[in-house]
Amino acid sequence: MKQWHTLVDALNAAPGDRPFVTSWIDEDEQEEVTFAEFRRRARVHASLLLDQGVAAGDRVVIVMPQGIAAMTVFAGAMMLGAVPAILAYPNFKIEPAKYSSGLAGVAANLAARVVVIDEEFPEDLLGHVSLHDSSRLIRAGRASDGGSESELPVAGIRPDGLAFIQHSAGTTGLQKGVALTHETVLTQVGHLARALQIDGAIDRIYSWLPLYHDMGLIACFILPMVCHVPLVMQSPLDWVMHPDTMLQVISDYRCTLAWLPNFAFQFVPRRTPRERWPQFDLSSMRALINCSEPVRASSMEEFLQAFAAIGLKRNALQSSYAMAENVFAVTQSDINGPGPKGFWADGMRFRSEHRVVTVPEGTSGAMSFASSGQLLPNHVVRVVSDNGEVLPECAVGEIHVKSDCLFEGYYNRPDLTASVLTAGWYHTGDLGFQMAGELYVVGRKKDLLIVGGENLYPQDIEEIVAGHPAIHDGRVVALGMYNPNLGTEDIVVVGEVEREETLVDAAEIERELRSRVVAAMGVAVRTIILKPPKWIIKSTAGKPSRSGTREKLVHEHPEFDV
Amino acid sequence: MTPEAQQMKQLIAELIRRPNLVIDENTALVSSGLIDSMALVDLLVKLEDITHMRIPPGKVQPKDMDTIALMFATAQRVGKPRK
Repeated sequence: MKQWHTLVDALNAAPGDRPFVTSWIDEDEQEEVTFAEFRRRARVHASLLLDQGVAAGDRVVIVMPQGIAAMTVFAGAMMLGAVPAILAYPNFKIEPAKYSSGLAGVAANLAARVVVIDEEFPEDLLGHVSLHDSSRLIRAGRASDGGSESELPVAGIRPDGLAFIQHSAGTTGLQKGVALTHETVLTQVGHLARALQIDGAIDRIYSWLPLYHDMGLIACFILPMVCHVPLVMQSPLDWVMHPDTMLQVISDYRCTLAWLPNFAFQFVPRRTPRERWPQFDLSSMRALINCSEPVRASSMEEFLQAFAAIGLKRNALQSSYAMAENVFAVTQSDINGPGPKGFWADGMRFRSEHRVVTVPEGTSGAMSFASSGQLLPNHVVRVVSDNGEVLPECAVGEIHVKSDCLFEGYYNRPDLTASVLTAGWYHTGDLGFQMAGELYVVGRKKDLLIVGGENLYPQDIEEIVAGHPAIHDGRVVALGMYNPNLGTEDIVVVGEVEREETLVDAAEIERELRSRVVAAMGVAVRTIILKPPKWIIKSTAGKPSRSGTREKLVHEHPEFDV
Repeated sequence: MTPEAQQMKQLIAELIRRPNLVIDENTALVSSGLIDSMALVDLLVKLEDITHMRIPPGKVQPKDMDTIALMFATAQRVGKPRK
C-alpha cells in the first residue's frame, strides 16, 4: 500500500473506473458506484455541507441508513477537513425511547455543527435530534441524480488532523467517541493491508456490518477505500432477516474477504435451510475473519462442516482481535497459515489458577482455546493481574495494548479516558493470555463469574448448556448472582427451550444440564431456569444480552435481587 | 379476519403466551408491551411468508408493526412481490 498523507488523498488516487461500493438490497435491486462516481457524490455532499457553514474541524453527525449515501456524506465531510461520525439509524428492532436517549447524549457530546439525516427519517424521532445551540439539522438526498458540485475550498487537511470519530461498542459505547487522526487510521490500514496481503485489483470484500461500529467502518469501508478494493454491502437488518443472503452475495460476486462476529458462524448455517446449501459457492473466500467476540473453535468448525462441501477452505477461516480504541485490529492470524492456532488446556487449573496448562485433546475436563492471532507490527500487549502485576505467558489477566495506532482519548470525555488509558497503555477490559506469540481472548472482565475464588467464563457454561438438544441454539445466558449467605457469586443459567411443550420435562432437562456442566467444568450451577422461546433479551446484533436478560430475570424473579 | 391475518394472530398468540388474552386486528402489541421489538424480526419474516412479499426492513419502524392491521398495511405500502 502506498503511503498516503490523508484518507482523502487515498480516495482521490483510486482508479476511477473500478467498482467501489455495491449496495445489495435483494436479488432484484442493487446499486453499484465506481470510485469516480463515489468521489463525485462525495463532492456533491461536501458542497451541501459547505452551504451549511461546515468548516475544517467541525463535527458532522450522520444518522442515515446503511448505504452509499451515508458513506458519501462521510467522505464529503472529510474532504472539507470536517470530522464525521456515523450513528445508528432508527429501525424497527430498537425501542424508540432507548434510541432517542442514546442519540441525544452522543450528539450533544460531539457538539456537531450539522446533523445529517436522510429524507425518510421518522418524524416522531426528530425532536430528539436537536442537539446543541449551534447545530443544524439537514436532510441529504442520495446525490445520485447530479446535484451541484461547487468549487470546494482547499481544506489543507493535515495528517495529524482529526479524520473522524467512531464509537466504541457496548452499552456505554455511545458515550465513548474515539477521535482518530488521518495518520493513525492510515497506519492501522497499512498494517492490516500487509497482514492480509490485500490487493485491490483482485480482492472484493463482503459486509453486512453496521458502519457505526469499528468492524463495519474500518474493515469494510475505510480499508477498501484506502486500498481501492471493491466492496459488496448489505444492511445488517436485511442480513439478520435473511442470513442466507450472505452466502448468495459471496457466491454471486466471488467475494474474497469478510469479517464476522463469532455468533454469525453458527447463525448462518443454522438459519439457512440445508437443502439450499448446494446453491452456493464459497470457494472464492480467502479470509473469513472471526472478530469482535472471543473466538470459539466450535463455532468455526460448525461453519466449516456446513460449507466445506461448497468450496469453503479450512484455511479461509481466520481470526482477529480488534477494538475502536486502536482504530481496529490489534492481532491477525497468519493469513498463509492453516487458520487460528488452538489447543486444549486443563479446565480446573484455568479456573482456579487463572493460567493455561496444555493437555491432550479428549482429556477429562479439558477446554479448547482458539487464538486471535499474532500482534500487528508496532503493537505490544501485556496481560495484567487485578493487582496491576504484569503476568507471564499462559497466565490469564486483563489485556493492555500499546501501539502506533492507539487513540489519544474519548472525545470530550477526559473522565472516561483517564479510567482506561495510563502511560500509553489502553486497558481493554478484556481477559486473555499470550502463548507462543499468539494472543488468546477469553471474555470480558465485567462478565466474569467469580465463584469460590474460581474464575468462570459465562461463554464456557453457555456453550455446554446450548449443546443440549432441548435448548434453542445460542439462546443461553449464564450470570453470576451474588449470594450473601455464601459471600460469593452463584451461577444462574437461563436457557430457552427449542419447543415450549418440552417445558413439561423441565426437571429432567435441568438435571441433565447440571450434570453436563459439572462433568465439564467441575462446578455446580445454583439455578437453571428454562424459559419458552423468545424469552431471553437480545442485543441489537441479535445476540443474547447479558445485562438485559439479568434485568428481566430480576424483575420476574425478585429472589435474585439481593 | 382474513385467513392471512388469522395466521399472524396465531403466531403472535404463541409469542405472548397469554391464553386468556383476546387479540384482534387492532390490538396494540408493541406500544402496549405485549411483544418486544426484538420479536419483530420473526414477525416480519412471517409477514413476508404470508403475503409472498419482500418487505425491506429498513423501511419499517416499530409503530408500523403495532397491530395486525398495521402489519398488513405496511406490507402493502413497502412490500414488493417476491419472485
